[in-house]
Amino acid sequence: MTKKKLVIALAGNANVGKSVIFNYLTGLHQHIGNWPGKTVERAEGTLHFKGYTIDIVDLPGIYSLSTYSLEELVSRKYIAVERPDIVINIVDASVLERNLFFTLQLMELETPIIIALNQMDIAKKKGLEIDTEKLENLLGAPVIPTVAIKGTGIFQLLEKAIEVIEKRQIAKPIMVKYGEEVEERIDKVTSMVDQIQFWYPPRYVAIKLLEGDEEIAREVGKIDPQIVATAKEIADEIENLHGHSCPTVITSERYEAAGCIAREAQKLVPPKKPQVEERLHALTTHKIMGYPVMILSLLLVFYSIFTFGGYSSELLNNFFYGLKPHFASLFGTEIVRELVWGGLIEGVIAGVTIALPYILPFYVILYLLEDSGYLSRIAFLMDNVMHKIGLHGKAFIPLMLGYGCNVPACLGCRIMETERERLLAAFITTLVPCAARTVIILGLVGAFMGVQWALMLYILNLMVIFALGRIAFKILPGEPTALIMEMHDYRVPHLKTVLKQTWFRLAEFIKIAFPLIIVGSLAIKLAEVFGLLEPVANVLSPVTVTWLGLPAITGITLIFGVLRKELTLIMLATLFETTDFASVTGFGPVQMIVFTIVTMFYIPCIATIAALVKEFSWKKALFITVFEIVFAIIVGGVALRVLTLTGWF
Amino acid sequence: MERHNPKTLEIPLTALKDGETAILTSIKAGHGRGRGRGWGFEKRLMDMGLTPGTKVTVVKSALFHGPLEILVRGSRLALGRGMAERIFVERKK
Repeated sequence: MTKKKLVIALAGNANVGKSVIFNYLTGLHQHIGNWPGKTVERAEGTLHFKGYTIDIVDLPGIYSLSTYSLEELVSRKYIAVERPDIVINIVDASVLERNLFFTLQLMELETPIIIALNQMDIAKKKGLEIDTEKLENLLGAPVIPTVAIKGTGIFQLLEKAIEVIEKRQIAKPIMVKYGEEVEERIDKVTSMVDQIQFWYPPRYVAIKLLEGDEEIAREVGKIDPQIVATAKEIADEIENLHGHSCPTVITSERYEAAGCIAREAQKLVPPKKPQVEERLHALTTHKIMGYPVMILSLLLVFYSIFTFGGYSSELLNNFFYGLKPHFASLFGTEIVRELVWGGLIEGVIAGVTIALPYILPFYVILYLLEDSGYLSRIAFLMDNVMHKIGLHGKAFIPLMLGYGCNVPACLGCRIMETERERLLAAFITTLVPCAARTVIILGLVGAFMGVQWALMLYILNLMVIFALGRIAFKILPGEPTALIMEMHDYRVPHLKTVLKQTWFRLAEFIKIAFPLIIVGSLAIKLAEVFGLLEPVANVLSPVTVTWLGLPAITGITLIFGVLRKELTLIMLATLFETTDFASVTGFGPVQMIVFTIVTMFYIPCIATIAALVKEFSWKKALFITVFEIVFAIIVGGVALRVLTLTGWF
Repeated sequence: MERHNPKTLEIPLTALKDGETAILTSIKAGHGRGRGRGWGFEKRLMDMGLTPGTKVTVVKSALFHGPLEILVRGSRLALGRGMAERIFVERKK
């Protein structure tokens, strides 16, 4: 007997518990990559069940199947062209109508489908009672109630999926019946589309042509431009009849159909007193109180991450450097030992001491906040502020991540809708002082000059972010998007899913950052071994000494800082042979400030550059890098002159 | 920005008070420097359930002309103000 293989796709809106179900089904047998040639993530996993090897494909969370976003396009093409054996449509029972709008579109794709009616517990809390049998009849497709976070119904869901596939008993799912005038015209276009070979079902193509779908119009136009032209005329007829544009009419009627089904299948008994979730929502989005709550929560988050990170990275460092003597005895010749330890191993140590103490807890908290629903509230509160730099509220999330580490922040820019916004957000994000830069700001300026000066630097940084953000927003071609975001009900996050997401993100971070950190440290070590550092520092001295007024050796530390920003401070202590920077002649308060300003802006660290390359392109990453180097040098030099001229010190 | 159309009693969504409910009449894309066409915000809004004839409740708006929180078809949405200004509604009689 040959091994039986099946492909099941998971589809549904965002935040319906899709990834929880995906995790239940596939455990750790997951693979996260990208759709070929796209920046859209593709999660896949395998599962063995009843003698089948089942490939589960988790499609992105979307609200529609049009072509306005890459996610929608990818999903629709996948379903129509690669034809999974069945699509499991995950539906949020607590927002039935909007979810069914998506279900109806899946059905128009004429794909075998079963429905997981998820978050039944939340629906119940809201006072919604859903008659699943009725829903099943109305939709003409099997409906399995589930509570994914408790694992309820997942087994039945899988059993049902197999049963439907095995029996090939694909009950003809219902089709949306549009109004008579529209239906007539859809038929007309369908009969034309019937004549040509196309990967989507004819009726679907007809509807989409009337909706003015760009991808389908383009593809059909290649085969027979006459069809597209006729469809356009027919769409105009509908517009004249209804007084609304044809896409509006079709979307409205589809929503009406979804609404009808939802109203028939559900009964609403509103709970008497407002739920805890409701009150929490009111507080966290409150016009005034929302802000202090947000600031306190974020301070708490960062304080705990930094405390934990500082403590555990020191532990790790001590542990690794404790191994050094043992290691030294393993390698004979000095130069090999230097290269292997100083280049390779220290590179790995550098990576590990960022990844485990900072990135790991960071992702855990991030996903807890996201899954619970708080991140969307923060985006709501910050929308206004972010508009000042041409972005909308969602962009605050990567920006906020940047204060921890720029790498996840750059990757986090994926939540923005268009390529332009992604680039804008990533650019600003690289200017945010991450944990490593905070070490320098607090450890140098904060410790030797007082907290007020450190605070001034943070304010300067914010001003720069706003100024550069505004300029970039004006320069970059394209138009800004605005906030359209669902704020789903608060819920208890699913810990297992959070941990799994953290694990995959951490792996991604390691894959992006480690190779470059290691190669970078090896290169610098080679330069050091061959005595190239001092000449390089001398070459840099017109900039470092003449323009910035810093000691020449800072040139060396700035080179090291490309690997990890906090190395600039560590190297400075090594080269000055003291950690009491105040005692160093030629390194007074002015130099401290200038040095810190330069390290704050001068280049994204090597791991961030790698992330930029991955998300955008070599060219864009290089441009941002060069720009920031030039910018930091200019600002540093100006600061030196302003500080000396005003005679503050 | 807030243009009142005397014939149809259409008002922008932003003219509603907190807690008020109205019926959506139209979304006006392409006004004001032709913004919004490129990324298809009109279609996105409709996909989220904001179609003509739908009941929309404004729950509140954030401080200093911030985004709006609305309820539509049982879901809670956050909408940027610039966009909300181009969504027109009619108060129920």
